[in-house]
Formats: sequence, structure tokens, C-alpha cells
Amino acid sequence: MPQRNDDVTRRRLLRDGLWGACLAGIGGVAGFAAHKGQKVDWLWQIDPYKCIACGNCATHCVLEESAVKCTHVYGICGYCEICFGFFDPEPLAINEGAENQMCPTGAIERKFVEEPYYEYSISKSLCNGCGKCVKGCNAFGNGSLFLQVQHDRCVNCNQCAIAAACPSQAFRRVPADQPYLLKSVDHV
Amino acid sequence: MTQRQGKMDSGVIITVLICTALLVAIGAVLLVDATGRRGSGLSRVYELDAVRLASFDPNLILYHEVGPPIATGFERSRALALGANGRFYIAGDKAVHVLRDKGTLEQVIRLASEPHCVAVSAEGRLYVGLRDHVAVFDEAGQRIVSWEPLGERSFLSSIVVARDDVFVADAGHAVVLRYDKTGQLIRRIGEKDPDRDIPGFIVPSPYFDLAVAPDGLLRVVNPGRTRIEAYTFRGDLEFFWGQNSIRIEGFCGCCNPANFAMLPDGRYVTAEKGLIRVKIYDADGVFEGVVAGPDELVVGGAARVFLSVEDAEASGFDVAVDPDGRIFVLDTIENTVRLFVEREKG
Repeated sequence: MPQRNDDVTRRRLLRDGLWGACLAGIGGVAGFAAHKGQKVDWLWQIDPYKCIACGNCATHCVLEESAVKCTHVYGICGYCEICFGFFDPEPLAINEGAENQMCPTGAIERKFVEEPYYEYSISKSLCNGCGKCVKGCNAFGNGSLFLQVQHDRCVNCNQCAIAAACPSQAFRRVPADQPYLLKSVDHV
Repeated sequence: MTQRQGKMDSGVIITVLICTALLVAIGAVLLVDATGRRGSGLSRVYELDAVRLASFDPNLILYHEVGPPIATGFERSRALALGANGRFYIAGDKAVHVLRDKGTLEQVIRLASEPHCVAVSAEGRLYVGLRDHVAVFDEAGQRIVSWEPLGERSFLSSIVVARDDVFVADAGHAVVLRYDKTGQLIRRIGEKDPDRDIPGFIVPSPYFDLAVAPDGLLRVVNPGRTRIEAYTFRGDLEFFWGQNSIRIEGFCGCCNPANFAMLPDGRYVTAEKGLIRVKIYDADGVFEGVVAGPDELVVGGAARVFLSVEDAEASGFDVAVDPDGRIFVLDTIENTVRLFVEREKG
């Protein structure tokens, strides 16, 4: 009676190992493709009409540099010479000197358009999302400055740490294909 | 029998570990600010201290409020005018309410759209500024005529009736329009004209007020320059006054005063939005005193101005003055009319 040879030969080990590696590779590629193709359905965003610019966005984000930044809708802006989002409430002079600026990080840039109009833009790399300019613009201007979660930075935590710490419940989930909640000119 | 020394029961070790874990968990729950109620932790340099900015010497308040506020009956009140026999004409929602001095609703004039401004002539005719045109009503509230619409961009924000003329401030086009009483456009006033040294109006938000002063000149707010300019009826700029400052002497923000009225002696009553304050300036534009500040005018005082842009927009209180120099303030947040009279001196 012939005996079964169950000993592991070198050839058999290599063959089975190769098959295993192939299967693992195919599984890995399929998994990676499935992961890449998976649509992120919902993202965190701030409702600008509920936000009170409390400052928590600057410090409660899990990222070292908050994913929340100031946004500017130019359609609402008055292009004011004396912009209370840009200038300190008691400026020494109406010019771009750092001592006259409201933003502690110098994130708002002011550009002359034509007398007496100026355009204001936000340097995302300098803005820390504190919302000080938003307060000034809401109170004294047209409210064209407001805070938004920047999705090139946000890691979309399951529970957003800033949303949990938002005293005005301004954070909400938005569809990924409409990731920003911008103010509209006709709202007020 | 020998005892094993220096060894601990494993049960004790597990108990200690569990207790430590529980303590850490409780500490984490207590110490971590999961609700954000403890604030951002940012330094003061990141704060806009509204209360400090709004503060001023209380001795500057020259007026006090008299009687209870009168409800306008609107959800959104826009403008106030005083007529003969102590009537108030209040524009809001889609109507004009005519009230007696104690607040009794005497007449409701319904409109197809929201009115932004209202004025009454000496003959009792009512001129209502809608978004793009003026509608004229007789004393009984019957529409007489609607004037030619001024285009999609127009936003009529103020209207005043002189003896033979009607002046309309169009915030959308940043121009004052002089009409005769039949609605014929006579002149455009205040458009930028370097040859006549007219700088042009800057109107960043929909507040752009005007009045005819006792000296016979037109006064128009140039809100973006935070000043009041005086024009002849022919459109020549005579003089201007006003400075931008958050201090009580100045006009704060990007665009103020939101509204104003003239006292019979030529002094000004101004109303600022954002940081809501009603003040008095003499005929030369020199600050005299305060009628009411944020603490007197708004629930929550100075902190109120920073809640939202809707609040700021609604904070453009209107003012009107009667022949006795009493000041009526249209509170557009609470939708009431409030009366302020001068404090007795001494």
C-alpha cells in the first residue's frame, strides 16, 4: 500500500507561498481600490448665520493648526476704506501698519482698487480661525467675512471636536458635493 | 510554615489598576472641556471687547426715556415719520401703520412690497419709498400715483418732502434724486464730480439718510465717509462734518450714521448702527451729548451688537423729532417707538 507523502517539500512551499502572495496582492489591490472609490458622503461645516465667532474653532480642532479659516464673499463686501474686519476699532492711522490691524496674525491683506475702495483677502496660511475679524465685520459691516471648515485641511473626524465645543450649534454635516455653506447676498 | 515576602496578590494589583483607570477617566471627563463653555483659551489680543468699546462717560447722557414704548405692530419695522396732530407714520413689513400719539392704531395702508422709507407732506400726503419707486397716498390712505421705477439696482432708503420738492435717497445707486411733487425728476445730487469738488456718496450697506435743515440746505449722510454733507437744492456741496471713530464723539464702523433727524434749532440727532447709540451734535457738527447709548437702547447692551449680521442690520434705528424737540426712536429690534426728552438741567 502506497504511503502518502505529507512532507513539505521546497517546491511545494514555494508554489503555495506564491499562490498566497498572489491572493494577498489581489485582495490588497481590490481593498485599496474599494477604499479609494468609496464616497465620503458627509462633511462638517459651519452655518455662518449661526456662528457667533466665539474663538473655539481656533483651539478645539484636533489639528495643531485649525482646519477652520476665515472666508470672504466679495459679493457682500462693501469694499470699505475703513473696514472693521481689517482695522482695529481704534486705529492709530487708516493704513496697513501692523499696529492698525485687527487680525492678530496679520492674515487679512488689503489691496487698493480705486479711490476710495479696497479689496480684502484672507491668507489661509496665516489665519487661525479665531473669528475676531468676523465679529468686527458682522457688527459694523455687511458680514462678508465668516468662518468655514477648509476641507483641504479637515480630517473629517467622526465626531468633530469643534462641533462638540460650539456654543451656538453652528456645526452641521453637509453633503460632500456641497461642502461649503457660503453666505448669500440676498439673505439680509 | 514559611511566608513568601515581597509578593503581592494579583487581585490587589488588578483592583489598583481598575481604580487608577477609573480615576483617570473621571478626571478626563471633568477636566476636558467637551462643550466649549470654558471658552477658547485664546489670549485677550484675540478678543473684540465690545463692552469696553461701547463705554462712555454716563454724564454725557442728556436725555431720558419717557413712558412705555409704543408697539409698531410690525415684525420688521423700517422707518418712522411724524405727521401733523401727533400722528406717527411707521413703515414696516408690507404696510404703513398710522398711530396716534398714545399708540392707538388709526389706519393701516397695505402695500404690495416692503416699504423702506416714509415721509408726510404738510398737506397730509404720504410718500412711501419702496425698493425701486415712490408711491403717493392721500390722507385717507388711497393710492394716488406710483412714480417711475428706478431700475433693478435701486434701493430707496430715505425720503423727505420740502415745500415744493421731494428728495429721495437711492442707496443702490448712491445718489439723491430731486423730484417735484408730481414725480418729475429735476436733478441728480451728489454723484462724483471732481469739477464741482463733489466726492460722491459711498453706501456700503442699505442705510443712506437725508433731511432738509432749517437753514434750507439739504443734509445727506455719506455713510462710507462717516460724515454728513450739506447740499443746495441745485446740488452744490457746501460743507460737511463728521469723523470716523469708535469714541463717543465720532461715528463708528464702516457706514454711519445710519439715520438722523434735525432739531428745530438746527442741531442734529444721529442714530448709529452696529454700536447702537443716538447722539446730539450742534449745528456745526460738534458733539454735544448722548440721547441714549447701547445700554439704554438694547437688551444685552453692547454685547448684543456682535451676535450676528442680522442683528447689526436690524440695528439701524430710525429717529424723528417733533416741533418741541422731543426725540422719537424707532427701535427696529423690538419694533417699538420710544420717546426721549431732555433732562432738566441743574
